[in-house]
Amino acid sequence: MVEDKAAAILAALGGGNNVVEIEPCITRLRCEVEDGSRVDETALKSAGAHGVMRQGSVVQVVVGPEADTLAGDIEDLL
Amino acid sequence: MSIEVVSPVSGLAAPLGEVPDPVFSQAMVGPGMAVKPRGGRSAAVAPIAGTVATLHPHAFVISAGEGIAILVHLGIDTVKLTGEGFTVHAAQGDTVRAGQRIVSWDPTEVETHGLSSVCPVVALEAGTEMLGDLREDGQVLAGEAVFTVE
Repeated sequence: MVEDKAAAILAALGGGNNVVEIEPCITRLRCEVEDGSRVDETALKSAGAHGVMRQGSVVQVVVGPEADTLAGDIEDLL
Repeated sequence: MSIEVVSPVSGLAAPLGEVPDPVFSQAMVGPGMAVKPRGGRSAAVAPIAGTVATLHPHAFVISAGEGIAILVHLGIDTVKLTGEGFTVHAAQGDTVRAGQRIVSWDPTEVETHGLSSVCPVVALEAGTEMLGDLREDGQVLAGEAVFTVE
């Protein structure tokens, strides 16, 4: 289930080759992406994100306390 | 059963909506309140009794089980300090009592880095209706009740 969520989030971020870096904070994933236009906010929300904040090439995906686990699962998929 | 949540720091209680970070001000991870801490080095304490579920130098989550977990974030965007100036006194998985010191830090020092030192205290994934006796103004001391959650 969690792995599916990780896969869904990664896909919504534009896939593995669009992700430069992903770092978990306590409530969110801080992701640096190659191409911001490939990030699908609606898909991130359907994947379970409580919110999405964007600042240039940095996308913050609010996922709550499971951020650590999710970041680990996404790293495994990269 | 209702759990009393105590303030992790001494300072001025404020509504969560005043926190300069949408994740907290829009209660994306849950409802709660915030405390603008007094300056000077001090210990941030556990808001409830339970298990240390997550522990970073700048933030921690204490879980009481049965879905109740309280997040304390020491300042905003303080992940950028990569732990500098924070001393951790507990470990993930530790059983702690409410009021037990978890991390020592200096809110004044955080502000010298241009960051807010305000501390959101959030009941993770809880519904607003689960919170009671919310303190959102006035001075509070570390260890003093700021809300209840059930």
